[in-house]
Amino acid sequence: MQMNNLDSLPKKKILSLFMTCGFPTLNQSKKVFNEMLSHQPDIIEFGLPFSDPMADGPIIQEANKLALRSKLSTQQSLNLIKELSKSKNNTSFVIMCYLNTVRKFGLNKFIKNIKSIVDGIIIVDLPFEEEDEIKKLLSKNNIHLIKLISPMTDKKRSQKLLKNSKGFIYYISATGITGSNKLDYKEINKNVKSIKRMSSVPVLVGFGIKSKKDVIDISKKTNADGVIIGSALIQKYFDIKMDFNKYLKSLKKFIQEVKI
Amino acid sequence: MKKYKQPSTIGRFGEFGGMYVSETLMPLLLDLDKSYKKIQKDKKFKKELNDLFKNYVGRPSSLHYAKNLSKYINGPKIYFKRDELNHTGAHKINNCLGQILLAKKMGKTRIIAETGAGQHGVATATVCALFGLPCYIYMGSKDIERQKPNVFRMKLLGATIIPVESGSKSLKDAMNEALRDWIKNVRDTFYIIGSTAGPHPYPKMVRDFQSVIGKEAREQILKVEKKLPDYLIACVGGGSNAMGLFYPFLNDKNVKIIGVEAAGKGAKTEETAATMTSGTPGILHGSYSYVLQDNDGQIKEAHSISAGLDYPGVGPEHSYLKDIKRVKYFGITDKEALEAFQTCSKLEGIIPALEPSHALAYLIKAFKNKHKNKVVILNLCGRGDKDLFTAAKAIGFDADE
Ligand SMILES: Cc1ncc(COP(=O)(O)O)c(C=O)c1O
Repeated sequence: MQMNNLDSLPKKKILSLFMTCGFPTLNQSKKVFNEMLSHQPDIIEFGLPFSDPMADGPIIQEANKLALRSKLSTQQSLNLIKELSKSKNNTSFVIMCYLNTVRKFGLNKFIKNIKSIVDGIIIVDLPFEEEDEIKKLLSKNNIHLIKLISPMTDKKRSQKLLKNSKGFIYYISATGITGSNKLDYKEINKNVKSIKRMSSVPVLVGFGIKSKKDVIDISKKTNADGVIIGSALIQKYFDIKMDFNKYLKSLKKFIQEVKI
Repeated sequence: MKKYKQPSTIGRFGEFGGMYVSETLMPLLLDLDKSYKKIQKDKKFKKELNDLFKNYVGRPSSLHYAKNLSKYINGPKIYFKRDELNHTGAHKINNCLGQILLAKKMGKTRIIAETGAGQHGVATATVCALFGLPCYIYMGSKDIERQKPNVFRMKLLGATIIPVESGSKSLKDAMNEALRDWIKNVRDTFYIIGSTAGPHPYPKMVRDFQSVIGKEAREQILKVEKKLPDYLIACVGGGSNAMGLFYPFLNDKNVKIIGVEAAGKGAKTEETAATMTSGTPGILHGSYSYVLQDNDGQIKEAHSISAGLDYPGVGPEHSYLKDIKRVKYFGITDKEALEAFQTCSKLEGIIPALEPSHALAYLIKAFKNKHKNKVVILNLCGRGDKDLFTAAKAIGFDADE
């Protein structure tokens, strides 16, 4: 069976970059992802745009909206990921999406499209209670189903959730939607430690990481193995008033900064 | 016949329903489910709720024999279950009282809700005023525009209204924002969902609180007609007033049940809210049910003249009842509803809300000169005050004059 890049993540300071597929347009999106890939982050998360991204904050919502403006299809997003995988090297590819997208596309067809290309998948609104069928099929095809743990997940539930977990664990740093504000390092550290007692796969902290300082603080003040940055990457586009060439440059600068 | 027993312990109505939410919400929903199960066995809770139903809401609502409309249709004997007489003018208050009592029991100190027509917003603001809890109402900016009287009502009652500018700026988007608020404020906040939609346990819980409608109607009709009705008719947005009326009759095989959806400009057009006529199964707001969606599973915008029915989804129990063919669902257009709105006003002296006007329109259309000697109960779940401006504009009457 083919290797899964997520099985050979580095031990510390893992960097995962999230970006919405087709943002701001399909063609520009290719350039954005190529820029990201050129920095060889440990993981790239490909967000599949959805009309009703319930767990996402205003910035990713806006990215979804822009991507869907030109009726971007699931197939187009998957084709984009496939094309980019040619220059994937050691970077792990992870898809982040909502369940309705997968269901409507057809689970088997979806897996066929991403097999040997994508290493992991996060289905935001698929709770552990509903995952059996999907998890089995994914595992047969060597794709890891990535688990989210929130500050509200208690110990008993975490234990169930983390059993046989693969790839990495996505710890949601703030009770909140993507792009939220506060980072409470004490709480993060406490919860990450508790997760690490139950599971041996890397724990990445996501939601609310915005700057080089945040990345360094997570690495210094907590036991986490790395970070996930999403909204902050997209925010840059709106910061420079949607000038695409400037955006690519500011993206480059930002990614260089957060690679610590 | 096997006794109707839905949903399953994990909130499934057949294959529909479930809890499709992120891990930030899962622990909250499980906690809510546990607390709800507990209070169901709590006699004190029941007593408190019944007292409020009686003395605050004015229950039981009457069962009115609509003689003039019956004569006009020249078909069955028509009874209105008059939940429009409730305090705040619609059935929504039944559910809000149940949920706020539960919120109190759970020690929550902040209430949020979504609203379309503003009826659920008003009902939530009302119970928050009564119980002294801060209230935040998410409402699409399009709905704020077309339901102005209710916006003012909510403000008078002390609620904060948060306009929602995303998506279609109506009910679906208000619900997205309310869910996001809940994810952000997990510890102190209780989300009062206004219909039988959303993730488990909401569809079950809201149905249970609303089923006081059907329980009363059953007793009342047995008293006056000495038999069960032949038909039940109700409008379906998310489906709470309909489930409230239908649920206590589901085991009565001979009672035929009809749900009426808003077809907007027509069920076959893009401007519709007829989820079960024009939609396909999918996931919206944490629940697997019929939804209006495209081939990629992107949720479409709904359209209806009635803000309370302007929703591209529907409660999972309705999807189940449709698939097992226990309930039949039909669409009624804006135009048909508007006509029925006027007919009912003139014939019965009751100005109905635009939502139940859809049910009325179906009744007038499908029962004309038919089903004589039959008995129908129609859920008149809301009054039309909130719709006066919308209706005046659609009819071409200058209400400002
Ligand atoms: C009077 C009235 N009827 C019906 C509805 C639709 O909701 P449901 O289908 O949950 O009864 C609303 C919603 O706002 C309403 O105000």
